[in-house]
Amino acid sequence: MNARISEARASFQTALEKAQTDADLDQVRVQFLSRSGAIANLFEEMRSLPVAEKPALGKLLNVLKFEAQAAFDEKKRTLDASTVRGSDTVDLTLPGRPRPVGTKHPLMQTIDDIKRIFVSMGFSVATGPEIETDYYNFGALNFPADHPARDMQDTFFISKDILLRTHTSPVQIRTMEKQNPPVREIMPGRVYRNEAISARSLVSFYQIEGLYVDQGVTFSDLKGTLVAFARQFYGNDVRFKFRPTFFPFTEPSADMYISCFLCKGKGCRMCKQAGWLEILGSGMVHPHVLKNVGYDTEKYTGFAFGMGIERTASLRYGVDDLRLYYENDVRFLKQF
Amino acid sequence: MKISHNWLKEYIPVRLKPSQLAEDLSMIGLEVEGFEELAAKYQGFVVAQVLERTKHPHADRLSVCKVNVGNEDLQIVCGAPNVDAGQKVVVGLVGATVPRNQHDSDGRPFVLSQVSIRGVQSSGMICSEYELAVGDDANGILVLNPKAKPGTPFAKHLGLSDVVYSMEITANRGDWLSHIGVARELQVIMDAKASLPASLIKESKTPVGKHATIKIIDAAKCRRYVSRVVRNVKVGPSPKWLQDRLMAIGLRPINNIVDITNYVLMETGQPLHAFDYDTLERHTIVVKCAKDGEKFTTLDGKERTLRADTLMICDAEKPIAIAGVMGGANTEISERTTNVLIESANFDPSSIRKTSKYLGLSTDASQRFERGVDMEMSLYAANRAAELLQKLAGGEVLKGAIDVYPRKLQPAKISLRVSRTNAVLGTSFTQNEIVSFLKRLELKVAKRTRDSITFIVPSFRYDLVEEIDLIEEVARAYGYDKIETKTRTTIDFTKPLNTGSLQESLRDYFIGAGFNEMLTYSLQDKAKGLMTGERAVEVLNPVSAEASVLRTSLIPGALTVVKHNRAHGLNDLRLFEIGNVFALKGEKPTDDLADFLEDERILMVMSGSVVPQQYGSEHRGVDFFDLKGEVQALLSKFCLDKYRFISYDTAGALIESALAVEINGTYAGLLGKVGKSISERFDIDDAIFVCEMRVSALVGRRTAEKKLTPLPRFPSVDRDLAFVVDSVVQHETVERTIREAGGTLLANVVLFDLYQGDQVGAGKKSLAYSLEFQPLDRTLTDREIDAEVNRIVQRVEEACKAKLRAT
Repeated sequence: MNARISEARASFQTALEKAQTDADLDQVRVQFLSRSGAIANLFEEMRSLPVAEKPALGKLLNVLKFEAQAAFDEKKRTLDASTVRGSDTVDLTLPGRPRPVGTKHPLMQTIDDIKRIFVSMGFSVATGPEIETDYYNFGALNFPADHPARDMQDTFFISKDILLRTHTSPVQIRTMEKQNPPVREIMPGRVYRNEAISARSLVSFYQIEGLYVDQGVTFSDLKGTLVAFARQFYGNDVRFKFRPTFFPFTEPSADMYISCFLCKGKGCRMCKQAGWLEILGSGMVHPHVLKNVGYDTEKYTGFAFGMGIERTASLRYGVDDLRLYYENDVRFLKQF
Repeated sequence: MKISHNWLKEYIPVRLKPSQLAEDLSMIGLEVEGFEELAAKYQGFVVAQVLERTKHPHADRLSVCKVNVGNEDLQIVCGAPNVDAGQKVVVGLVGATVPRNQHDSDGRPFVLSQVSIRGVQSSGMICSEYELAVGDDANGILVLNPKAKPGTPFAKHLGLSDVVYSMEITANRGDWLSHIGVARELQVIMDAKASLPASLIKESKTPVGKHATIKIIDAAKCRRYVSRVVRNVKVGPSPKWLQDRLMAIGLRPINNIVDITNYVLMETGQPLHAFDYDTLERHTIVVKCAKDGEKFTTLDGKERTLRADTLMICDAEKPIAIAGVMGGANTEISERTTNVLIESANFDPSSIRKTSKYLGLSTDASQRFERGVDMEMSLYAANRAAELLQKLAGGEVLKGAIDVYPRKLQPAKISLRVSRTNAVLGTSFTQNEIVSFLKRLELKVAKRTRDSITFIVPSFRYDLVEEIDLIEEVARAYGYDKIETKTRTTIDFTKPLNTGSLQESLRDYFIGAGFNEMLTYSLQDKAKGLMTGERAVEVLNPVSAEASVLRTSLIPGALTVVKHNRAHGLNDLRLFEIGNVFALKGEKPTDDLADFLEDERILMVMSGSVVPQQYGSEHRGVDFFDLKGEVQALLSKFCLDKYRFISYDTAGALIESALAVEINGTYAGLLGKVGKSISERFDIDDAIFVCEMRVSALVGRRTAEKKLTPLPRFPSVDRDLAFVVDSVVQHETVERTIREAGGTLLANVVLFDLYQGDQVGAGKKSLAYSLEFQPLDRTLTDREIDAEVNRIVQRVEEACKAKLRAT
C-alpha cells in the first residue's frame, strides 16, 4: 500500500507538470482529486485493511491528499495568471463603462463657495421673494421717492407698487423685521434690471448679499470680514483697497477692490490694465434703514455688502460672455 | 462728466500729475474712469500744403494730389470736391488712427494704411473736419488758415495741451458736476485752497429794475430767480480760449452768448439761460406751472406737450422756457439779438426730475437741477455771465441784479459726536483730528462741547444733513485704507447652526445621480409663459418681447436648452434646474404682494440614450420608466416613501401621458413626456421626458426624525408568482391586492417580468412577481408560507380576474 501511495504521488506530479491548459488541469483533477479519482480510491482501499495498519496509512494518505490539492491550486493559479497575461482574449485597455457624471452650474458653485466661507464665520442663509414691493426694494432701504438714486436701478414694474427686485437687499429688511440683533445673514438670489441683453449685461442675474448687525460693529470690522473673505476666496496673496462710493442704504459706503489675481496687479486684459478688480460694494447700514425695521440706532450698528455672482464667476472661470451661463450648452456645463 | 485739467488750474494750483490726480480723487470717492491727453488723439496728423492737384486717370471724382508735409512730399488720392493746389490742409499719415470714419454708419475710428486706389498709390489721407472730430462737415476737406505751417503737428496747430478726465459722479454729489466742485474736492488731497475768481463788472447807470420784472408764482418749485440784463451785445463766435475750453469737455461752441452760459455752467454748476430780451413781452418773467396739455416748442425745434405740474418760465403773455430743462424757440438768442436777459435760477429737484422724465429730455441743466444746485451760487453765476458778456460781447450791463429769493437758505448746522464717530468707524480720533479733516471740506466749527462739535455746512454741500453724513466725510478725508482692518468672528450658538439647505442637498443628490445643472431665464416671451395655462405675471416695461413675462413653469425654458443642445448634436441629456416660477392668483396684477404666487420648483429632463454610447452595452433610448425610476429614487431619498403616483389627464398640451406625484397626501408635481405639439414648437422630434415638482412638497420630509427599524434575525423566504390578467388590468392594482392579502409577513413585492404574446393569448398579459416573506420572531415553515401564498393567489384571482400561471 505504501508503494501504491508513492506511485500515485509520482504520477500525479508528472501529470500536473504536463498540464498546460485549463482542460489538462481539469483532467488532472478528475483523475486524481475527484470523488472517484486515484486518491479517493486509495482511501476506499484502506477501509478493507486491518485496523492496526489504518492510522499510519491514513496519515500518509492525508498528507498526499493535502499536498496534491495544494500543488494543484498553485498550478491553477499560475496557469490562470499566465492565461490572462499571455493570451489576447481580454484587453484590459478597453474603456470602462462610465455612468453619466453630474455637474453643478458654475453660478451655483460660486454661490456655494461664497456661502461656505461666510457660514464658517457664523453667518446663516436667508432668502426672500423675487417679486417685491416698492417699499422693500426702495423705501425701506432709504431710497427717497423721486430721487436720482433710483436711476441707478432700472426697474421692471408689475404694477404701481409691485416690481421685480433690483437687488437682494430687500431680504435684509425682511430678515431684520423678523428678528432682533445679532443678525448675521448671507442672502443669495436672483435679481432683475431693465437693461438690454448683451455679452456684458443680462436682464436678470444672481447676487449675494451679507448683513451683520450687532452692538459694536464698526467699519473696521467690515474691512476685516471682507478682507478675510477675499483671502479665502481669491487667495492669500491678494492686496485690497476700499474706495468711497454711494448707496442709499449704507453710509459710509465702500467699493472693495482686490489686486488682479491674473496679472498680480501689473495690468492685463481682465483688469482693463488697472491692476485692480472691483469685487463688491459694501458699507455701514444707514441708520434710517435700522430705524425702518425698529432697531435702536444708538445701540446697534452694522455692515452690509453685496456682489454680483455672474461677475464673480466670470473672473474665476474666465467666461467672457454672460449669456453662456443661461444657454446651458452641456459642453459648457460639463466643464464645471 | 468731463473735467479739464487746465480749467481746474483756474481755481486751485494743481501740482499733481494726471495719473496721480485720477488715483487720489478716486480714492476719496470721486471716481476718475480715465483721462485723455488731447494731443494724443492727433498722433500722426500734420498740417500740409497741397502742391499739385491732377485728375485721377481712372476715376472722375477723384484727384491725385502732391502734398508737402514738412520734411517730404507725398502722393495722396483725395475724393473731396473742394481740394485744390495751394491749400493748407490736415493730412493723416500712414499708421494714424482717424477719429471718425464718414463711410461707417457709427463713425467708428480706423487706421490709415498705404493703399492703391484704382491703380494709384496713396500715402495717407487729407481729412474732413468730421473725420478729425473737430466739426460735423463731411462734404469736403478741412481747409486751414493760409498761415499754417506744413509739418506742424495738428495737435500743436490746435493748441491742444489739455488733459481731460472722465468722471463718474455718484447720485448724491451734484456739486461735483462743475470744475469748482472738483477743485473743492481736491482740497482734501492737496494742501491748497480752492476759490472762484471775483467777478468784476463795470455797470451802467441804468438800474435793471426799470427794464425787467421777475415774478415767482410757484415758490415751492422755484426757490430763487436771479436775473441780469446786458444791452447792446454783439453776437459772434467766441474767442479761441473759450472754444477750446468747451471743446475739450465735449461741448460744441455756438456763439459767444450761448458759449458764455455754458462756460459758467461748467465752471460753477449753476445752469444759466440767456433770453433774447426784445422777444420778452413787457420784459417780464413769470415763473408758474403750465396748463395741462399745452404745447410748447423747445429750442431743439421739437413740439412738447406739457402737464399741469410742469414748471414754466413765461413772459407776460406766453411760455418761453421749460424751467430747468430747455429754453424755447420763441426767445432763443439769434444773430440779430442785441439785448440779453440772463436767468440764473434754482428749481426744486424733484419737480425737474419729473418733467425731464416724462418729456424724455435730459439736458446739462436738468441733470444738475435733479441732483440739486447750490442755492448760494445763483447770484455769483449771473454776475459772472454778465462780466463775460461785457468782456467778450461788448455789452452794457444794467445796474444791479434782480434777485427774487423768497426763503433765504439758512446755513445748515450739524452736530457730530466724537464717540459716535469712533463707534461707527472703529477708530480713535480726537476732537481736533476730526475738526482738521472736516475743515478741508470747508465745514466750519460753530460750537464745541466735550464730546460734540457743531459744524456749519457750506451751501454747496446740501447732501450733508445729519451726523452719519459727517462720519462718512471724516472717513473719506482720513482715508478708508488707513482705517484698521479688524476681524471679529463671534458665532452665535444660541441659534441653530446652518447645516445646509434642502436645495443644497437636492443639488448634491442630482449631481451624484448624473444630472447636469442648468439655469434658465425667468423672464421669457409671452407664448412660453402661457404654455401652462397659468395666469402669467407680465412686466409693464419689458426691455424686449423675449423677456416680458415671468415663467409659469421651468419646462419651456428647459426645452429652449434642449433645442440648443440638439442643434449642436448633443442629444443625450440629463438636466435639472431648481428655480422659482410665478403666477397671478387673481385675474389681474394688483398692488398687493399676496396676490402673486412664487413657487420654487425642481425640474428633471431626460432624453436620448440611457447610457452614453459605449462598447458592450446596448443602446437604449430613455423611456418614461427611466424617468419614473429616477423620480422614485429621488423621492425615496427625500420623502421616506410617503409618496404615490396618480394617473393624470392634463388639460394642457405641455405634458402627455402624465403621472401626478403626491407626497403625504399633497400634490407635488407631474412627470411625463413633453406633448408633441409643444416639442414641435421647439423643433424637437425626439421624446423628451420631464418631471417638475414643488420644492416645498419635499420640505421637512427629509429631516423627519429617523428611528432605526431592527434588522431581521430570522431568514426571509422568496416565492415567485405569475398571473395572467386582461391587458387593461394595471400592475398597481395587482400589487396592491397582493400587499393587502399578504398581511404582516409579506415584506416586499417586486415585479420582475412583464410578458405579452402568444403564450398568454391576445388581450392578456403575464405579470410575474417575486414575494419576500419576512418573519420577525421565528423561522417560517413551508406550510405557513404555502398558506400565505394560497391566500394571496386566491385574492388576486378574484379581485383582478387573474389566473395563476406558474410558481
